[in-house]
Amino acid sequence: MKKKKRILLAKPGLDAHDMGMKLIARALKDAGAEVVYGGIYVTPDEITKIALEEDVDVLGLSFHSSTHLVVVPKIMKLLKEKGGDDLMVVVGGCIPLEDVLELKNMGVTDVFPSGSSLDDIVDLIIQ
Amino acid sequence: MGDSVKTERKGDIKTDGLMEAYFEKPKRLTTWSGFPVKDIYTPADLEGIDYKRDLANAGEYPYTRGIHSNMYRGRYWTIREGSGYARAADTNKRLKFLASQGVGGFSIFRDLPTVWGIDADHPMAEGEVGVSGVNLTSLKDMEELLDGISLDRVSVALLCASCLAPVVFSQYITVAEKRGIDIAKLRGTIANDPLHSRYCYGKPSNPIDLSIKLAVDIIEFCTKNMPLWNTNSVNAYDMRETGLNAPEEIAFGFGIAMEYINKAMERGLDVDDFASRISFYFSAGIDFFEEIAKLRAARRLWAKIMKEKFNAKKPNSWKFRFGVHTAGSSLVQNQPLNNIIRISIEALVAVLGGVQSLHCCSYDEPIALPSEESQRIAVRTQQILAYETGVSNTVDPLGGSYFVESLTNTIEERAIEFIDEIDKMGGMAEAMRREWIDEKIDEAAFQLQKEIDDKERLVVGVNTLSTKEEDESPGGIHSIPPETEQKQIANVKRLKETRDADKVKLAIMNLKEKAKMGEKETLIPYIMEALKTYATIGEIQGTIREVYGLSYDPFNMLKSPY
Repeated sequence: MKKKKRILLAKPGLDAHDMGMKLIARALKDAGAEVVYGGIYVTPDEITKIALEEDVDVLGLSFHSSTHLVVVPKIMKLLKEKGGDDLMVVVGGCIPLEDVLELKNMGVTDVFPSGSSLDDIVDLIIQ
Repeated sequence: MGDSVKTERKGDIKTDGLMEAYFEKPKRLTTWSGFPVKDIYTPADLEGIDYKRDLANAGEYPYTRGIHSNMYRGRYWTIREGSGYARAADTNKRLKFLASQGVGGFSIFRDLPTVWGIDADHPMAEGEVGVSGVNLTSLKDMEELLDGISLDRVSVALLCASCLAPVVFSQYITVAEKRGIDIAKLRGTIANDPLHSRYCYGKPSNPIDLSIKLAVDIIEFCTKNMPLWNTNSVNAYDMRETGLNAPEEIAFGFGIAMEYINKAMERGLDVDDFASRISFYFSAGIDFFEEIAKLRAARRLWAKIMKEKFNAKKPNSWKFRFGVHTAGSSLVQNQPLNNIIRISIEALVAVLGGVQSLHCCSYDEPIALPSEESQRIAVRTQQILAYETGVSNTVDPLGGSYFVESLTNTIEERAIEFIDEIDKMGGMAEAMRREWIDEKIDEAAFQLQKEIDDKERLVVGVNTLSTKEEDESPGGIHSIPPETEQKQIANVKRLKETRDADKVKLAIMNLKEKAKMGEKETLIPYIMEALKTYATIGEIQGTIREVYGLSYDPFNMLKSPY
């Protein structure tokens, strides 16, 4: 039997808009994945630590207050340093379309701006 | 079946979709909040309504039709447009631009580090300084923000609701005082609703007991010193934005307001001395009639609560005065120009609902900070409503509508049920402690998303009619000036090195002593003294927190230097 996918969901920074992340957590669980819920107000260091300790396959990051271009490269660098560069990183939230390519260039597998369908997100992560 | 004969010819366009569109009809025959809607409403739906008792003319109890007898014939609602980004000087420029566009008041948004009460140089502030509002680490920032603005001739809403509200409020009045303006003449609003902030800006910085203490400090200070200032703008809006329904918006907003009122009365204030300066901040959502009914129901219910529950004697204490912000959660990133239409409808809701002050969202809000252009459209939306549509020429034009009156009753009844449920738990603070509110919020959001996923609710650009090919945002995106954060951090560091450290320490120690007196002392004058020495928001908040047995830093990363 195929191993269940493990996903860490986390929201870095000071913003509290966590509803999207909660909805995704529920949808992923319903689809049979194992979700590690990292919660809100977590730092890049904490996120990296949890991702490696929990041995997840996917890291899902949620943003609402436009800090993605500052925080994502930081996390990508930490992952690389600590040996987590095989992790698939997915970003979602309030992301201007103009920033999608830049995030992908940083190594992010896919970006789901607000209004994305839960099915699309689950499909990508579970595959 | 004659029409099944094949008449299609090679090269014809596919017409299945056309016929489907031709025969399309509404699928969801309920309001946004889920109340069933009948095919027609008749005089039978008005049975039991007594005009004088339940509606009355505007300006008369229970104010269902409006709080002023002539409503907008006497004065339009305040056309307010909010702003706040980057450093104080940048926001100052935007405020002056908005003033040139004919707004009647400002709303100032602060960034997340400010709302959390941490300085710009705090490690958790990285990437957030000046991003979703202006950074106000010290009094210097407020001085720059208000440069060239005559504070005795403007109405300003300070949208900082968290436990930092007393500090931002004190920054504002300290600037006025330093300019020699009598603070009794200041007109404006401090959001001052830290209880709601738990759900929107973080629980670590808004502990329940400290939240209530600080909120009441502002009420007490203003009651004694600032008669024109609105002491609270109780924020039902943010709660609604999470996915709660219309009656829950009323009930949770009123539940929070009642906590503050109870505590202010326990301190010995007379309800009639402060109730008229408590206002509300409500949403205007996309369900046209339900939202209008909600605002009318809220007005009637608040009047009853103030008169019957709190025994307020003055009519001004009974009046539900409120500002509206159109529903940000109704806006969609896909085809963002469509948002202009949504915002116009919601603004019309607010006006037909009898709003006192209106802020229209900007169409580009789901994407980025509003641009000058999008803010101008937001202001023009209100001006077109005011000058061209004629909707403000008479009071409560939908009053007496079979449908609207019936819906007003339904929403009020449901809101009362929620309020009773909260009362049984021991009030809103207790409902929060038990995480009952959290459960309601989560439940509502899941339900809403499920209905969108199942296409039971259609949202253009989300689950129907979305365009896939967009790869940039029409209208572009507004970004804050580069280097904002670095410059602000450098400023804050320089300030901390150059200010008179002894004076800062003295003021902070005095604040600490006064905080120990708890409910016996309002902290505003001592916060003002500390601000004058250029103590920062982090230092002031941290000092108060420690007295209340909390960590100096809400993130527990920094230790108090005092």
